[in-house]
Amino acid sequence: MNIELEYKPAHTLAVVDMQPGEQIRAEAGAMVSMRGDVSIQTGGPKEKRGLLKRLKRTVLSGETFFTNTFHTNQSAGRITFAPKLCGDMVVHHLSSDHELMIQGSSYVAAPDSVQLDTKWQGFRKLFSGESLFFLRAFGQGPVIINAFGAISHKDLQNETLILDTGHMVAFTSGLQYRVRKASSGWISSFLSGEGFVLELSGTGRVYMQTRNPSDYGQYVGSKLPPR
Amino acid sequence: MQAQHVIESEPTKDSYSDSRDALDETIEHGPSFAWVKVKLRPGQRVDAEAGAMVYHSPGVEMATRLNAPRKGGLGAKVLSFFSAILRKFLGGETMFINEFSSPQGGEVTLAPKMVGHIQKLTLSAGMAYYVQSGSYLASEPSVQTKMRWGGLRTLIGREGVTLFQCYGHGDLFINAYGGIEPIEVDGSYIVDTGHVVAFEHSLDFKIKGAGAGMKGLLFSGEGLVFEFTGKGTLWIQSRNVQALVGWLKPLV
Repeated sequence: MNIELEYKPAHTLAVVDMQPGEQIRAEAGAMVSMRGDVSIQTGGPKEKRGLLKRLKRTVLSGETFFTNTFHTNQSAGRITFAPKLCGDMVVHHLSSDHELMIQGSSYVAAPDSVQLDTKWQGFRKLFSGESLFFLRAFGQGPVIINAFGAISHKDLQNETLILDTGHMVAFTSGLQYRVRKASSGWISSFLSGEGFVLELSGTGRVYMQTRNPSDYGQYVGSKLPPR
Repeated sequence: MQAQHVIESEPTKDSYSDSRDALDETIEHGPSFAWVKVKLRPGQRVDAEAGAMVYHSPGVEMATRLNAPRKGGLGAKVLSFFSAILRKFLGGETMFINEFSSPQGGEVTLAPKMVGHIQKLTLSAGMAYYVQSGSYLASEPSVQTKMRWGGLRTLIGREGVTLFQCYGHGDLFINAYGGIEPIEVDGSYIVDTGHVVAFEHSLDFKIKGAGAGMKGLLFSGEGLVFEFTGKGTLWIQSRNVQALVGWLKPLV
């Protein structure tokens, strides 16, 4: 499998070239085009075991209910994927020595050698209006993630970083995270417009997006007539 | 409406000399999705609109205050409160401002809500910039802002025009929807109100209908325009928020 990212950074498209007999699981609605002998299966073969498990992932993480699994048969194929919002994408290579926590709406696609699960983030996130759950990706292989805006990453070496929850895209499992108020007081945390922030510490990589989807939505939405 | 060239000589709490340490900042990921990274030296401070913070290092402290000129006394505090409300509901700015400072130095990164570029403007004593509402991102504490209403005519067109006068000295960061283009005006220049980001106070301006008479104002699709005269720099943006909203309206 070979992944190329085109039209970076504003309107990135992921071009996936697949060998015969390969599989990739993508967020529903992300597929743009397919070429060659490619079949689609909604849900994917690894998820036969339960509707409940899939429901948990959808309700809890904000990720779309169904993922689609694309697989090539006898011959090679090419599939392209695009997210809903303008922005960049990045390919993170997972290996057995770390896992990746992905903000629910940033997952685009990964081969079936990568497994997905959700991880509880704590109740506090309920108040922040941003997605409650991270997707936990583990296994081996590439994961395509997308951002609203450009993607920037920071490699922390036994360091701490305070990140706005709306700008978080993904981080590796070497980092511990804590959701806390943006400033010391409850009132000032909300008035500041920052609400909750993610405090990441340890050693690992964090991917950030340069724009906040819900801030953008509220800014443009506040100018629209009420429905 | 004529521009008034009166700069309030309000003493600022933060006494900066002209040989002050300028902010150490980098604007990255422009022009589509720019953010600004500010390295704070010990004791330095940067003020930003509420919600602009992307990340900061652990040594950086954040304090929140009303988006209004800082003055002492209880009466002044009540006034500040109403001034902040006006700025939010008429000016389209945030009601609160966050102050980032760091006793031992640190880094804070700021991003606007809209997609587009960021431009740094530097003020010195006696200078002022007019900044269109919604375009203020951040500034040094020695920069003051004052709201200016665009006048009755701006209520006729669908585009509300509110300007902020920024004066004092130091750096100011403005953001645009799309790219930012500086224009050196010498004589006369006409810009759609939705595309004006900022301009120097040395320019005189009038807000008027783009076409002739009421028909032009209502049906030309151009609405209101700024007519600038004089000499000075003007910054325009390549996209118009009102035009985006107008396009979205029938779709929601």
